[in-house]
Amino acid sequence: MSLKKKIAGVLLATMCTAFFAGCGGDNKSADTASGKKVQIEYWHVASESFGGQTVKELVKDFNEKHPNIEVVEKYNPDMYKGLTQNLQAAIASGKNPDVVQMGWSYLNYAAENLKYQDINEAFAKDAKDPNFLKDNFLPNVLALAQTEDGKQIGVPYSISVPVLYYNPEIFKAAGLDPANPPKTWNEVKAAAKQIKDKTGNMGFFMQEYADNWTQQAIIESNGGSMLKKVDGKTVAGFDTPEAAEAYQLLADMVKDGTGLHATNEEGFQAYLSGKLGMVCTTIGKRANFEKSAKFEVMAAPFPVFEGKELKVPAGGNFLMLFSTDDAKKQAAVEFIKYLESPEALLKWSTGTGYLPPRKGVENDPNGFKKLVETNKNIQVALSLMPNLVPWASFPGANGLQAEQLLIDARDIILSGKESAAQALHETAEKINSLM
Amino acid sequence: MEKNKWHAFLFLLPSVFFFAVFSYWPLLQNLYLSFFSWNMVSPTMKFVGAENYTAVLGSEELIKILINTVAFVAILLVLNFVLPYLFSYVLGHLVTRGKAFYRSTLFMPATLSLAVASILFLWIYNPLAGPLSIVLSWFDMESPRWFKENGLVIFAICTIIGWKIFGYNLIIMLAAMLSVPKEMIEAAKLENASNWQIFKQIIIPMTSSTAIYVFTVTVVFGLQHVLVPVNMLTQGGPDQGSSNLVYIIYQYAFVFFQTGKSAAFAIITMVFYIAFLLFRTKYLEKKVYYEN
Repeated sequence: MSLKKKIAGVLLATMCTAFFAGCGGDNKSADTASGKKVQIEYWHVASESFGGQTVKELVKDFNEKHPNIEVVEKYNPDMYKGLTQNLQAAIASGKNPDVVQMGWSYLNYAAENLKYQDINEAFAKDAKDPNFLKDNFLPNVLALAQTEDGKQIGVPYSISVPVLYYNPEIFKAAGLDPANPPKTWNEVKAAAKQIKDKTGNMGFFMQEYADNWTQQAIIESNGGSMLKKVDGKTVAGFDTPEAAEAYQLLADMVKDGTGLHATNEEGFQAYLSGKLGMVCTTIGKRANFEKSAKFEVMAAPFPVFEGKELKVPAGGNFLMLFSTDDAKKQAAVEFIKYLESPEALLKWSTGTGYLPPRKGVENDPNGFKKLVETNKNIQVALSLMPNLVPWASFPGANGLQAEQLLIDARDIILSGKESAAQALHETAEKINSLM
Repeated sequence: MEKNKWHAFLFLLPSVFFFAVFSYWPLLQNLYLSFFSWNMVSPTMKFVGAENYTAVLGSEELIKILINTVAFVAILLVLNFVLPYLFSYVLGHLVTRGKAFYRSTLFMPATLSLAVASILFLWIYNPLAGPLSIVLSWFDMESPRWFKENGLVIFAICTIIGWKIFGYNLIIMLAAMLSVPKEMIEAAKLENASNWQIFKQIIIPMTSSTAIYVFTVTVVFGLQHVLVPVNMLTQGGPDQGSSNLVYIIYQYAFVFFQTGKSAAFAIITMVFYIAFLLFRTKYLEKKVYYEN
């Protein structure tokens, strides 16, 4: 008898453990019914080395200034991909966050697949400041967070542009003028060769993240395009001589040993340890580069092709709203307005290197002005704002797979396995069959 | 008798319960998902029948992925099964001094997480700034782009896993080696048997039960270990050069959000595992010596 009791006890204990293990983390539900303190959740992708501290500071500051609202921040690893995964799971189980950072390249996917709240509607309900968006953002910047049919699905928050970082010490050693960095892609090519010949160091590396952001910039700046419309259907637009020519320029550099083809982290490591002359990547890396490098990190605008218009896709993120509860929605709007205030944007920009999306912030004495005046690299990035275009993302259920095919094409082209024209043609056909 | 059975069942119940809930229920769920087109969040799941299977089985990538998978397993078997086997023999029966030192040194990497190991090796393999490239440059050799060359990338990733798992498998094999009776080896030595003969005639048969365990674990867990460095360092690249049966499941589900195809890949992978385990039980198990 006592044995059975013991067994029953053990069984009960194990089951309880399993039960509570399954329920862990569910103790945060807000006390909205009593109307005392509204708790909202803010999901972001800022790791400790990429603005994480700033997020914590901002949230703390906001909570102190708003005694009736409590924001809980939650870091999501693995960038927007990781965040989207967690978000889909959270929405499926009905425990959605309220404010979420969403990457530009996930715009179409988020619009089609996530149950978000209409931004215009939510802000229009704000009694104090119903025209917040219109008054504070340039129309072309607001348009970055709109779907094709003009629906505002988020508020632009972090803007990044691709720039050309270089190592002035390597430039000097190679007989190049650090005050006069390459402005066109042919100059980049020549500079990379000179660096390799004179110093033995590798000349150039273009970021190889799991996206095609900088590749879009170089293709579109040469007059190509990522997507095009055929009979109302979006198809691959990069199967053109312009796109192939731009991509081939990168492949040729790798082929003649002046350009590096490696994983992204390897490329950055090489640059920071002084073995690589130029890196083409996001201005978002500025703070991290400036802190980690032993040399003075200098940035130049994204190079152009002679006589062609420069087009750089906006990177970074926008804020989406997911609250279903009215009190939470109101609190979330308040929080978004705080995040978009000049002081908060200044902190955010200092912590990450992102550019502010609002108009006039760079001239605001409380905000960006001082930072811009003291940091030349930020000036360089800001000079690219008029050239911003949306980050192309493939629509539909197979959109993310299409993106991956283009990443695979990058490996094929840069490793010299196929010419850019051939690889882009094959990839375009594959992608079009998916759409 | 009746009472005993009831007791036995009761004792089994907790593990049966957890096994059913956490292993078999997800498996059935996976089978169910493989017949639908669904992105994990949409409220409607579209039934597509066997379409996912025909798409997966007819795709070009499947062959590439199967070849990569076999390559991963083959290299991992060398690094995590054959090498620990030989090393444990040397360490157990040939080395006479500094045993504790070797044992702890070789085991140490096993305590680090695979994620840490991946980042470490990312540095070591850096083609421009890594220590390996510096060593290669002493011999006037240029470092290859380890994570960007087809074939080489699989080897590079296997070394990361090997570095971590080798020591653990070595300790297990060493325990088996040391349990081989010393008298038997002494007797063989008196008969003038060479080290190789001792290894072949005594050690291999006497340690076969542990060896088959390490062999199985290397194959089954090896592919699961592959996921971490592949996801962190290459995302299946270059051009699917390091993609494999396990990573492709992850990629379709959590990168492309196509759970149906992912589930179909998972079922196919399971078929391969079942085939492997049947082969093991039918052919390898027979040659194994169990003491009791």
